[in-house]
Amino acid sequence: MKRKRNHNLENLLLLSFLVIALFVPLIFGSNQYNILLVTTVLIYGVMATSWNIIGGLAGQLDLASFAYLGLGAFTSGTLLIRFNLTPWIGMILGGLVAAAFALLIGIPLFRFRIKGVWYALTTTALVEVLKVVFNMWEEIGGPVERYLPYFSGSTYHMRFGSYVPYYYLILGILVIALLVNSRIAHSKLGFYLKALGEDEAAAEVLGVNTRACKLRALVYYSFLIGVTGAIYANIYGYIHPSFFNGPESIKVAILGIVGGRGITYGPLLAALLLVGTQEFLRASLGAEVSGLYLVIYSVILILVVLFKPGGIATFFQYKNKKPAKQEVKKKNVV
Amino acid sequence: MEVTIQSLFDGALMGCIYALIALGLSLIFGVMNVVNFAHGNFVMLSMYFSFWAGSLWGIDAVLTPLITFPLLFIFGILVYYGIIDRTLKEHYTIQIAVTVGLMTFLGAITQLAWKARPRALPYSFIQGNIQFGGYTIALSRLTSAIISLIVIISIAFFLSKTWLGRTIRATSDDSDAASLMGVDFRKTYALAFGLGSSLTAISGGLLMTFQQVDPTMGLRFGLLSWCILALAGLGSISGLLISGIIIGIGESLAMTFWDPRARSLVIYLIFILVLWLRPKGLFGRKE
Repeated sequence: MKRKRNHNLENLLLLSFLVIALFVPLIFGSNQYNILLVTTVLIYGVMATSWNIIGGLAGQLDLASFAYLGLGAFTSGTLLIRFNLTPWIGMILGGLVAAAFALLIGIPLFRFRIKGVWYALTTTALVEVLKVVFNMWEEIGGPVERYLPYFSGSTYHMRFGSYVPYYYLILGILVIALLVNSRIAHSKLGFYLKALGEDEAAAEVLGVNTRACKLRALVYYSFLIGVTGAIYANIYGYIHPSFFNGPESIKVAILGIVGGRGITYGPLLAALLLVGTQEFLRASLGAEVSGLYLVIYSVILILVVLFKPGGIATFFQYKNKKPAKQEVKKKNVV
Repeated sequence: MEVTIQSLFDGALMGCIYALIALGLSLIFGVMNVVNFAHGNFVMLSMYFSFWAGSLWGIDAVLTPLITFPLLFIFGILVYYGIIDRTLKEHYTIQIAVTVGLMTFLGAITQLAWKARPRALPYSFIQGNIQFGGYTIALSRLTSAIISLIVIISIAFFLSKTWLGRTIRATSDDSDAASLMGVDFRKTYALAFGLGSSLTAISGGLLMTFQQVDPTMGLRFGLLSWCILALAGLGSISGLLISGIIIGIGESLAMTFWDPRARSLVIYLIFILVLWLRPKGLFGRKE
């Protein structure tokens, strides 16, 4: 009964967010720069929400989100430059390439039982490896930006002459990511993932095929981010190895943790609050503040982790949490 | 052939300093099993402190650890009691998250304080080259490697022979049993964390004799020291030294014979291969 009410609250929050998000371009519509900023916030929302599948539900601290974003961007971008393939197909292929790469990395990783800190470190190294590889791979990457062919207002090339369609495109992917997230969270796979995230050995003893579950989570996550990467390349109009960005990948994981691991709307909430404020400050005060902003960012992260390890989304779940706390108190008295 | 030997030698010298960096991390991870993602940024911070001391008071880079060593020790103790101590019993994701926060914080603070420009100190008095047969050895690297070796050996001596060192090892083996024997494991943890971070002060000062510092290098040093730790496994200081030298040589050979950009690639490939094929490391005793 309680879970159902909580589920309803979750849906209500998400629905109100979507209604507001639909009308945002009408408010900022006159200023393309503002639309781009809002789209950037949404991109981080998509990435953090997708991260929630592997990082929040499955409890694997994946720090490679921008590796998949870069792979999606390079796949779609290169296909467009070389073969004039429309990004509408390119983005699906980008997602597939990212997912295939994730499988390629994930199978041996989970086969050799790499988890915890070693998983986090491998994924961090993965971003750096891809950055170097694409820097040295002159045919596809190279140190110079490769610009996508420019056709203003050509829907085939995913060029609209305005940022508003990109905004709705990213919003659409965000909705998909949220749906996938909430479907997984309330499915058998979700319960398995939560179980192995808490205690992998115990989950294995109970007969959960942890390797397959983690792989499925990894594929969902990397596919969603790969698709986003293809659109990302089209928004900025070029592809470059700097898309494989280690610190930003860590930032995505931070958003997921601050928002609330395993809570569907938590990472999105954190992205809206933190990235939103960051982009607002950057737009209004100039680039110098970005350093200062990272200070605030990291202090918030440390404080949230120390005092609210469940994440900021747990503020909304207070009613649900209360009985559990009382039980703990009773135990302490006894 | 001469190029190979030259490159091997350069790499081995660099490897000794890398081993010193990794020793600090090994102390922290080995004793309290806490994952410190910010270790590379500790190195970066001590390099900046060295730069500070060097440019403000005109101290030579080699001597700056005399000032930065106690500074980093105090910093480590503060970090331990402020942050790490509260997360000891938490899920490892929380521990990593909190040190990732610390890492971002240190990176941002240094970026604010010293801007994003690379900083370097004027030439140290150990600058210069030695000609040895057909080979050139940079004196600053040779001196740094020798100092690193001395520090590593004295830490090994400290851990095996002194009472404090023994409490650290005992706590590392079994903190419950150690506390039954009257060891305050919290204080031991704090000591190990302080020592681990103050070791980066020495390596930071040594690195400043021939290298510049910029705010993005923290992640590289962090991954580098985790690679060495993965290669060495826990509990063997000589293993750590050998692994550091392997990594240093690998990096140097990649830069000479392949591509200067490939240096990190080689390190990470070694790292991933070791994790897959020999998870407890070459010389490890557990995990």
